[in-house]
Amino acid sequence: MPDTLQPGVRLSVLPTDQFKTTRISVHFMAPLDPATISARTLLTSLLETSSAEFPTQAALSAELERMYGADFGIGVNKDGQVHRLTATLSVVADRVAGTDLLRQAFAFLQSTLLHPLLPQGQFDAATFARERENLVQYLASLAEDRQTQAGLALQALYFAAEPKQAVPSFGTATAMAAVTPAQVLAAYHQIITQDQILITVLGPVDPAAVRELAAGLGFAARSADSLTVSVDRPVSESVAAKRDEAPVVQAKLNLGYHVDTDIYGPQFYAASVASALFGGSPLSLLFTNVREKASLAYYASSVLDPLRHFMMVQTGIDTATAPRVAALIAEQLRLVQTGEFSADLLANVKQGMLTSRLMAYDSPRFLARQALLRSLVPGVPADYDSYAQAIGAVDRAAVMAAAQGMTLQAQYLLAGKESQ
Amino acid sequence: MTTTHYAALGETLVQETMDNGLRVNIVPRPAFHETFAQLAVDYGSVDTHYRDITGAAASDPAGIAHFLEHKLFEKEDHDAFDLFGATGADANAFTSTNRTAYLFSTPRAVKENLATLLDFVQSPYFSAKTVAKEKGIIGQEIQMYQDDPGWLLYNGLLNQLYPGEPIAQDVTGTLASIADITPELLYRAYDTFYQPSNCTLTVVGPVDPAEILALVAENQAAKPQFAQELPQRLDDFQVAPVAPARTLHAAVVRPKWVLGVRGQTPLANDLAGTRFQIATQLLLEMLFGDSGAWFQQAYDQGLLDDSFDYDYSVQRPANYLTIGGDTSDPAGLAQAVQAVIAAGADQAQLTPERFARIKQAAIGKYAMGLNAVESVASQISAQSFSQVNWFDYGQLLQDTTLAAVQAAAARWFDPAACTTLTVLPEEAEHA
Repeated sequence: MPDTLQPGVRLSVLPTDQFKTTRISVHFMAPLDPATISARTLLTSLLETSSAEFPTQAALSAELERMYGADFGIGVNKDGQVHRLTATLSVVADRVAGTDLLRQAFAFLQSTLLHPLLPQGQFDAATFARERENLVQYLASLAEDRQTQAGLALQALYFAAEPKQAVPSFGTATAMAAVTPAQVLAAYHQIITQDQILITVLGPVDPAAVRELAAGLGFAARSADSLTVSVDRPVSESVAAKRDEAPVVQAKLNLGYHVDTDIYGPQFYAASVASALFGGSPLSLLFTNVREKASLAYYASSVLDPLRHFMMVQTGIDTATAPRVAALIAEQLRLVQTGEFSADLLANVKQGMLTSRLMAYDSPRFLARQALLRSLVPGVPADYDSYAQAIGAVDRAAVMAAAQGMTLQAQYLLAGKESQ
Repeated sequence: MTTTHYAALGETLVQETMDNGLRVNIVPRPAFHETFAQLAVDYGSVDTHYRDITGAAASDPAGIAHFLEHKLFEKEDHDAFDLFGATGADANAFTSTNRTAYLFSTPRAVKENLATLLDFVQSPYFSAKTVAKEKGIIGQEIQMYQDDPGWLLYNGLLNQLYPGEPIAQDVTGTLASIADITPELLYRAYDTFYQPSNCTLTVVGPVDPAEILALVAENQAAKPQFAQELPQRLDDFQVAPVAPARTLHAAVVRPKWVLGVRGQTPLANDLAGTRFQIATQLLLEMLFGDSGAWFQQAYDQGLLDDSFDYDYSVQRPANYLTIGGDTSDPAGLAQAVQAVIAAGADQAQLTPERFARIKQAAIGKYAMGLNAVESVASQISAQSFSQVNWFDYGQLLQDTTLAAVQAAAARWFDPAACTTLTVLPEEAEHA
């Protein structure tokens, strides 16, 4: 369990000698609020490129270079109903660098997070305008990646009745263009004084030394009430459908399903296996039957988001085949629901999930993410063995029941159009 | 069996060449769960003109190496992919300009999967029927790239740097070129390039190197013997003019601009070549990196943003630089980058202080890149056809001098070897 530094400010230290790096993340978490998403996103750009001590991007980058090419980034994300702003700094382990980089890393985080560049108590007007413009341009250009475009459009369609979930965690170009310096300053004060904070540190470190450094960041006490993470919506009788056109050669057909599941209980593991069998693994029915056998798609896969009771199928296809592909996808889900799959396939899919999971324990990012999830959601498996045991307990009947709880709710097609 | 310890990195490299010429690299990683293995072939999309094993000159359709990679998984009565899947291993493959590689990662059944990897790559099966079906799948892949603005920019630039040369062809080929692929052409290319002496096997993970070597030796001894003659390629390094600057319109949201510099001398596959490669990478970082005065000024002027990037690509027989990104002001960015190129070796940003800092960062980033089993295996494999292995890079970085970086600037910055590509959004459509 994380250690409490102050009410609402917690620390999770994961000492390990496996890696040559130390990864430090500072997570600021608040209930998801579409009104503040854009300001929080722009805040990440401002904090990431300057501080009072390093007033230009060049100065800040030079400091990272001096710290043996430390990796630094601040981003936003959402976990169910929680909006999270996370600063991550990875440095070469002290024993590899031969210097006290860990101490320097905490000093750097204190400089960027707690002493931002605020001449006259405001963000510099020119810097603000430039970073906002860059983000507006960046958000607009997301449509250049058609897979991302289709994924976001499906999410908006699926969550049409819930603005909180319909909007991406980083907001939209239109909303970004309207953000004011006062809103960003307010967002800054909110993360520093009100957001719940979790600091994770993973690497070859001494927990006592890390505790002292983390406490030294000086975050004050705040509300420690637990945040509501999971979110659900009622199942609708009808399927929402939308079609957009773009000058693309390859069309994108994305489907959104409501998933009946508990959070990290038996239903969750059954739904995970059902999703993997349906489209979430290289052995899945979508990959085998839609891509390989029918040659109807270059990619066809599903991904489960249990915290939102949501599953998305993504495919890349020819526009003209969309109805055939949709029917074929429905057929694959039906096969899972009715148990028309071999025992070997089920065993292999489960085995694939276990091997992926075991290999993930070689990744600092995964390990740190598990620490975050454990702090947010009860029931997250503590280690590989408990995960393996839960997956192992999922049988054919449980997979069928889980698949029967997957209901198509939204269908989005990004179709090609003839360009002149 | 040769074992080399790299104490500063905490790494060990075990190497051995099999009787049939297959070279094996093993990096034991006892603290990890994952074993990653990659069988690499020194064969890529540029290798379309060569002498086949009878000595006759051969010319293949663009995209054949990638096509062959796809097809190798499928056998007469099974798909090799399923054999990996049955043990829970993840298998994959990729083709680049110079390389084809087959790989798997797994926490268990390493030996079984290793045998599967060697066996499926070394037993080709191409039939008219399966070749025809593959054209549909690869056709989809080709189409997908055409919707990717990044591909458009990169592929477009290569066509200007190397007009009409094989390196400018896309790895996947075109719908027209792959239509010409037949089982006979696949077998001819396979027999030429997939000889064990033109392949390397890299294994990284919690393995016992002696056991792995014994398994590979036994597996290879049971295979048909090959000629062990390295393929003879008919396309050599060329000095040729680049095509002039070009602007095209496409379905992009943001304008994009990129400059390419065509390398005027071949890059040797040896220590000197590797040193030059490192010096060039440091040069780009010193001139265009985000800690420099040039970047800061261009950033403040709104000429570039975080998408700005630069790279040195070494792709036999060619090598070239690319510099560019998304920009609201392509002309302004062009002017700023071209001013740096025009200064040649006389660069104000090449100071000893900046050099020391950027070198320190490069050394740190190199060490950070040694975390993941997969990235170590990929780097060791990528370097396996060079005379310098990846674990020697750290020391070479350490040894690099500012003088070497200045020499690289003098060698690279010739405006006549440069060309640019601008991609602009299409004109708004009127109903």
